[in-house]
Amino acid sequence: MSSTKRTSRRRFIENTAAIGIGAIGATQLLKSCTSEEGTVSAVAGPEFLRSAPDGEPLKAGVIGCGGRGTGAAINFLDAGPNLSIVAIGDVFQDRVDRFRRDLKEQRDYEIPDAGCFVGFDAFKRVLEADVNYVILATPPYFRPEHFQACVEARKDVFMEKPVAVDPVGVRAIMAASKQAEAAGLSVITGTQRRHQWPYNNVFTQVKAGMLGDIVATNVYWNMSKLWHNDLAPGWTEMEWMLRDWVNWTWLSGDHIVEQHIHNIDVSNWFTGKAPVEAVGMGSRLRRPTGDCYDNFSVDFIYDDQVHMNSMCRQINDCADNVSEYIRGTKGYTDCRSFIRDHAGNLLYEYEEPTDEQGESLEVDPYVQEHIDLITAIRTGNQIVEAEETAKSNLTAIMGRQSAYTGKKVTWEEMMGSDLKLGPEGEIALGPVEMNKMVPVAGSAAS
Amino acid sequence: MFLLGVLFAALVFFLGNKAVTATSTDEFCASCHIHPHSTQSWKLSTHYDNQRGIRVHCVDCHLPPHGEGYLVQKARTGMRDVWGKLFKDPESFNWEAKSQIEYAKTHTYQASCTRCHQNNFPLGLTEKGREAHLYYEDHADELQCINCHITVGHYDPDRLHDQNTSFGISETAPSEIYTEPGRVEGFSNFTEYIPGSSVSFEMVTVPGGTFRMGSPEDEPFREDDEGPAREVSISSFFMAKVEVTWDEYLAFYSQTAATGKTTDAYLLRGSSEVDAISGPTSPYGAPDQGWGKGNMPAITMTHQAAEVYCQWLTEVTGKNYRLPTEAEWEYAARGGTSTPYFFEGNPKRYVRQGLRNKIFGVDTTGINRYVIYAENSLARSNPPSAVQSNPFGLINMLGNVAEFCSDRYAPEAYGDYPEGILQDPTGPVSGDEFVIRGGSYMDDAAGVRCASRDYTRSGPWLKTDPQIPKSIWWYSDCTHVGFRVVCDYDEQMVSK
Repeated sequence: MSSTKRTSRRRFIENTAAIGIGAIGATQLLKSCTSEEGTVSAVAGPEFLRSAPDGEPLKAGVIGCGGRGTGAAINFLDAGPNLSIVAIGDVFQDRVDRFRRDLKEQRDYEIPDAGCFVGFDAFKRVLEADVNYVILATPPYFRPEHFQACVEARKDVFMEKPVAVDPVGVRAIMAASKQAEAAGLSVITGTQRRHQWPYNNVFTQVKAGMLGDIVATNVYWNMSKLWHNDLAPGWTEMEWMLRDWVNWTWLSGDHIVEQHIHNIDVSNWFTGKAPVEAVGMGSRLRRPTGDCYDNFSVDFIYDDQVHMNSMCRQINDCADNVSEYIRGTKGYTDCRSFIRDHAGNLLYEYEEPTDEQGESLEVDPYVQEHIDLITAIRTGNQIVEAEETAKSNLTAIMGRQSAYTGKKVTWEEMMGSDLKLGPEGEIALGPVEMNKMVPVAGSAAS
Repeated sequence: MFLLGVLFAALVFFLGNKAVTATSTDEFCASCHIHPHSTQSWKLSTHYDNQRGIRVHCVDCHLPPHGEGYLVQKARTGMRDVWGKLFKDPESFNWEAKSQIEYAKTHTYQASCTRCHQNNFPLGLTEKGREAHLYYEDHADELQCINCHITVGHYDPDRLHDQNTSFGISETAPSEIYTEPGRVEGFSNFTEYIPGSSVSFEMVTVPGGTFRMGSPEDEPFREDDEGPAREVSISSFFMAKVEVTWDEYLAFYSQTAATGKTTDAYLLRGSSEVDAISGPTSPYGAPDQGWGKGNMPAITMTHQAAEVYCQWLTEVTGKNYRLPTEAEWEYAARGGTSTPYFFEGNPKRYVRQGLRNKIFGVDTTGINRYVIYAENSLARSNPPSAVQSNPFGLINMLGNVAEFCSDRYAPEAYGDYPEGILQDPTGPVSGDEFVIRGGSYMDDAAGVRCASRDYTRSGPWLKTDPQIPKSIWWYSDCTHVGFRVVCDYDEQMVSK
């Protein structure tokens, strides 16, 4: 017997369509499934706005004008009314130029010359410009310093994950996040699964108890290699590293941090905590440049002995799998479309909302992040994600350090570690003095 | 009648309120509180004079917030203070002890700190401050604000919670710089000279022999870890006459001090090369607690730092210096005696326990000549000249500051050794903490017996170190432990 009642989805959508923007929640998705234990009732999922509400003009500054910076800028412009980009900064002139060209081509949007800055200190010029919303999209090595500067300058921030490459950076983010919270600023961090409708709807059911207690989680990012750049004539070593940053640990954190953080974050999000220790392994088999590994497998353990098994690989032509899988006492879920009982019976299924023509109403999560941030700013419902993300970030770093060293690494050690990656001294174009050896765990058999 | 009652109640309330207000002023507090410098040190503190123009008064910190037990505590402390004012001799108070953090915590209220200081992460907070507050929020059950900020209400330059980069830098040129280490003329006392410094110290012979390690079961205040007592045979060695002094330790510090930290180098990629001995980083605050350096025993260094000191001393002198084993230490401390102390006396007479001692006071005449302990120390370490030596000629084996041994600590260590007479035992092979012996200026007579054992407490002793990772060189929260070096004797070392 079901106690939930179906709401007319059509009526709901008509209402929201009439005003052009509106909230789509899971109220229209309420349904009940029958399992061995009887009827299981789904609860209402969270509501999402399909566009940010109008309000004070938001003038964005973009720091880091690469692919993600350009993408994030366009996502921001798509998120609602009264939004502009007034300043941009990058280390390289050609990146600034391409950013302006892309915005002109794709959104017919022009950035004035006076708002364009080049160099390692371009972020300072951007913050000095008339901006009240900052997008941080440089390689993550720079994030702690940039985020701290944003908070001190009282800017609301959208920053890409990961937010740091080492424990020192993670703690800097944690502290700056607390400062942002105390100062009334809003921060969203680019772990976009937390802004994806399907994940949020499943999460709501899990929180309501449909899965029971979580007993194990598996998270995967096994996929082909990302891009790389070989050293080009005329580039200094620093320029090469920056233009090839996803392949260098000091700039990206390695792929377990840079990419796999998404899946690790889902496990931490659903369990509501971060693991206390990790034992991992990994290696570098086929990566063409840099000093990163291209595969990791890590056994993370939460304080209640729940294990998160994590696997990530960036090698072509292998079994691909980018997903999360969580097992509870009552069943299992893929975190984004279904919950089943142990026998495989469907307890819950996420149904994508569509309009009358059958077109999906879901918003691109990259845009949704900005909608949510702008909404937080304009409605005064502060949201600060940085500390949560920092914890998932440190989880990934803990796994990486375990794989690099072959040792068990604990959360406590990470919170007390002075590990700081990257060259010493000021970052400047030129040769890069640092250890570029790929780490090898353990010792050789004698 | 009813109206009269209401009026009366209102009057009582009004007067009561007046009384509470009148007795809560700084002037009222100061009218009785005669502890030296309390008002002056408050006026030097940031709670008196700060950029925001806010003044924090006695009752703001020394009583809980209104509504959280303010009146109850006010009545309680008021009664205690009146009693003290009427019946106690202010000269008898040990202000030094009462200004220590453990005592300060009992009359400063955390809720009063947080009533005003509501944001631990204000904009503009320094990087160190952010890291420290992050640590604090993760360990709020162990820490109070004043663990680190003890000087905010009463300024004390020796307790500032800050990196002390000028520590150990001498202001006067030394008179003579030694170029050669001390000469050994056989198994007899010698003077060691630290090359490259103007520091020397005395080493005395401890002739080998056999003794009973541990205490008999009927010894007063005996603890279980002191037994079973064992026959132990010890080889001859040299031992420093006094605990390592600040002069000695600072010679090491100035020759080796490092600027970087290397605690978790294992997490760094690549192999770490071990080169020349790398010594302590600069300490936080004043390691000597403002009690003086010179020939005062060096304190607050970690066990690891003491070990590195010995390695360094070995390197610069060409002799084999190290920490004593626990057995060597007790053998040396006893100096051939088998009584609780190396002098005559019953531990029970020296403690503030038992009716007789409570009424007639503690008779310290015997112990005073040899031991700096809780009853005579004034809650701080003392120079070696304050006491006389033991039969081997060693000073401060018992009391003053406790001393590191090289053994790891296990309560059942004596019982775990194999049967028979033990030859130069070195303690358990594993364990997280190390043995400390001799007791200190903080211990009562029970803790300064020859057989009394204690051990390091790495976690609590680093509680308020705000650095991440915590220092491997300096304990932030341990002021009562130092060490003494021993030197192996063999005929090869006799100077030609």
